[in-house]
Amino acid sequence: MEELRELAKKLLQEKQVNAVVGYECDRRGVRPAFVDDPAGCDRLVFDHRCVQNLPAYLSPRRTNVAGLGRLAVVVKQCDARAVAGLIRESQLKRENLVLIGVRCGGVAANPNESRELGAETLALRCYGCSGTETAMADYVVGEPKTVPAAGGDRDARLAEIEKMSPEERLALWKEWLSRCTRCHACRQVCPMCFCERCVAEKTQPNWIESSPHIQGNFSWNVTRALHLAGRCVDCGECERACPAQIPLGLLNRKLAKIMSARYGFAVTDDPSTPAPIGSYRLDDGQEFIL
Amino acid sequence: MRRMLSRTDLDALVRDLLGAGTRVIAPVRRKVQGREFVEYAPVQNPEEIALDGSQPVRPLKQVVFPPTETLFNYKQDKGLVQIQEAPTTFSDTLVIGARPCDAAALEIVDRVMDWDYHDEFWFGHRQATTVVAVACTDSDESCFCTAVGLSPESTRGADWLLIPAGSSFEVRVVTPKGEALLESNKSRCPESDVPEAGKASSAVEEKVRANLAMNPAKLQEWLGAHFEHPLWQKIALRCHGCGACAFVCPTCHCFDIVDELEGVGRGARRRNWDACQPALFTLHGSGHNPRKDQSARFRQRVMHKFSIYPSRFGEILCTGCGRCIRVCAAGMDLIAILAEIGQNAEEAGSTL
Ligand code: SF4
Ligand code: SF4
Ligand code: SF4
Ligand code: SF4
Repeated sequence: MEELRELAKKLLQEKQVNAVVGYECDRRGVRPAFVDDPAGCDRLVFDHRCVQNLPAYLSPRRTNVAGLGRLAVVVKQCDARAVAGLIRESQLKRENLVLIGVRCGGVAANPNESRELGAETLALRCYGCSGTETAMADYVVGEPKTVPAAGGDRDARLAEIEKMSPEERLALWKEWLSRCTRCHACRQVCPMCFCERCVAEKTQPNWIESSPHIQGNFSWNVTRALHLAGRCVDCGECERACPAQIPLGLLNRKLAKIMSARYGFAVTDDPSTPAPIGSYRLDDGQEFIL
Repeated sequence: MRRMLSRTDLDALVRDLLGAGTRVIAPVRRKVQGREFVEYAPVQNPEEIALDGSQPVRPLKQVVFPPTETLFNYKQDKGLVQIQEAPTTFSDTLVIGARPCDAAALEIVDRVMDWDYHDEFWFGHRQATTVVAVACTDSDESCFCTAVGLSPESTRGADWLLIPAGSSFEVRVVTPKGEALLESNKSRCPESDVPEAGKASSAVEEKVRANLAMNPAKLQEWLGAHFEHPLWQKIALRCHGCGACAFVCPTCHCFDIVDELEGVGRGARRRNWDACQPALFTLHGSGHNPRKDQSARFRQRVMHKFSIYPSRFGEILCTGCGRCIRVCAAGMDLIAILAEIGQNAEEAGSTL
C-alpha cells in the first residue's frame, strides 16, 4: 500500500499527471477514488475488495473525468484489457495515460465483501488468472500474490444452460429478461460501451423499443451482447450493476466462447492484437452467408 | 386492547383473497444463478410470503407505477386515426409485507401525481391497492428512514401496519381502507391484552438512527444557496450516470413517453420509467444539454429530493430506504453525501 501511495504522490508532485484514479475505503467497503493532490494519496488502498474496473472512467463519455486532465490509473491485469480495448478501438492514446499495474491476489465478487478471499468469495473472472501485473504497466506495485484456487468450474452455469433444449432456454431467458426495466446501467458501467449515442437510443428508426416489455428487453439485451462479442473484457461489471439481478455475464461468456472457437480470439491486454470485429481474414468462416 | 393476527390466520386471509380473485403481492425469496434476494411479486400461495427476509431489492412502486404502461392504442384508417384509450381502473390488489419506507413513498409521490395534472393511471392503481406494511425487524448500514422523519414502524402510506410479536402480529389499522379489511377479517384479529408489541423494533430504530442524523430544514436551505459548489464536481466523478439508483428508488417517478409501432398503421403509446442520471434525459433536439456533465446530473438528484420537492410540496422525496446506496456499482453513498452536506450547512450556519 505504501508503495502505491508513494508512487501516486510522486506522480502528482512531479506533475506527470493531474489526477490518480485508484481505490479508497468508504463506509461500506471500497470505491473508486479520484485523487488530485499529493496529500490525498494516503487514501489509496488496494486489496481483494478492489473489484471495480477503473478504465471505465477513461471512456470519452466521461466528460467530467476527462476534465481532470492527464490521468494515472490503477489497473489489475484484467482491467488492462479494457485499456487495450479502448486503444484498439481508437478511444484512447496510450501516451496520454500512466498505468499503475498492481500485482493482484484476486478479488471478491463485490466491493463490500467482509469475508476473507477464498474459493467461496472469489469473483468468477479470477478463476484461472495468475494475478500478475499487466505488461502495459508503466509502474508496477505490490509483491507477487497468489490467487486462491477457484471454487469449481467457472462455466458450470453456462454448461447447464447449454444442455437445455432451445424451448427451455427461451423460457429461462424470458423469465430473466422480463425483470429488466431498461435502466441501461449495464451499458453505463461497461468500459467498452463508449458510444456517444447508443443504438438503443435511436428513435428514427426505432431499432430497439425502449419499453421494458419482453420484446424490447430481448432486443436490448441481445443487441448489447452481440455488440460486445469479441469486445467484452470480462470484468463482470454489467452483471454487478444490474438492479434486476439478471445474470448478464452468461451472455457475454457464451459469446466469448464462440469468438474463441470461430476466430481464435481471446480478450487480451495486448492492444496490438486485432479484434475480430475490426480485422479481416480470408480464412474467416463464412458458411452462414447464403 | 390490541388486535392480533397469527401467521396462520394471515395465510387464511391471503387464501380467501386469492380465491376471490384479488392479486396479492408480497416479498418472496428468489434465487437466480446462485444469487439469493427478496423481491415483491405476485403470490399464488401464502407459503411463498417471506415477511422475515431482507428488504426487497426493488421497490414497491412497480405495483402502482409499472415500468411500462400502455396509455392508448392507435390505428390509422385511411387518414383517420382511431384511439383506443387504456383503462384507468384496475383489479383489486393487496400488498402484504410492504416495508414502511416503500409504503410511505406512495403517499409522498401522490403529491406530484396530483399537481399540474391528475395522473389517472397512478391513482387508478392506488385506488385498487390495499397496502399492509410490516414493521422492520432488521436494517443494514444503508437504511436511514429515521433521518427523513420516518421509522421502522411508520404507518405512513399503509392501510394496515403489522408489528411482529412472536409468531403473530399486532394489527394497526390506519385508514378507512384498512377498516374495511378489518371488517371482513374481524374474527381473525381478536382483541388481546398482551403487552405492547411496538418495542420489538426499537432496537432496529436505534441502529438506523446511528447511520445518519440530519437537519432537513438546514440541508434544504444550504442546497437552495449552493447550486454552484465544488462539492458537486467532487462527489460525482465516480458516478457512472447509470440511473440504477433512480430505478430502485421508491420515490423516483420520472417517465418517458414513446410511440411504438405494432404493425402497419397501428401501435401504442406507452410510458416507461426514466431517470435523470443518464445524459439523454435532458438532451435537447439541438444537441445542447443544459445539464452538461455528471456533476450537474447528480446535483439534480440531490436537489430534487432534498430541496425542490420539499419547497414545492413540503415533503422530502426520499424515504431513506437505502436502495440507491446498495445498488450503486460506483459506491455512491447518499448517507455519506447527506452527512457531508449537513456538515457544510452547519459550518455555514455558524459563520452567518
Ligand atoms: S482476474 Fe486476475 S488480475 Fe483480475 S482481479 Fe482476478 S486475479 Fe486479479
Ligand atoms: S442493467 Fe439490468 S435492468 Fe438495467 S437495462 Fe441492463 S439488463 Fe436491464
Ligand atoms: S449514483 Fe450510482 S447508481 Fe446512481 S447513476 Fe451514479 S453510478 Fe449509477
Ligand atoms: S433516494 Fe435512495 S434512500 Fe432515498 S428513497 Fe430513493 S433509493 Fe431510497
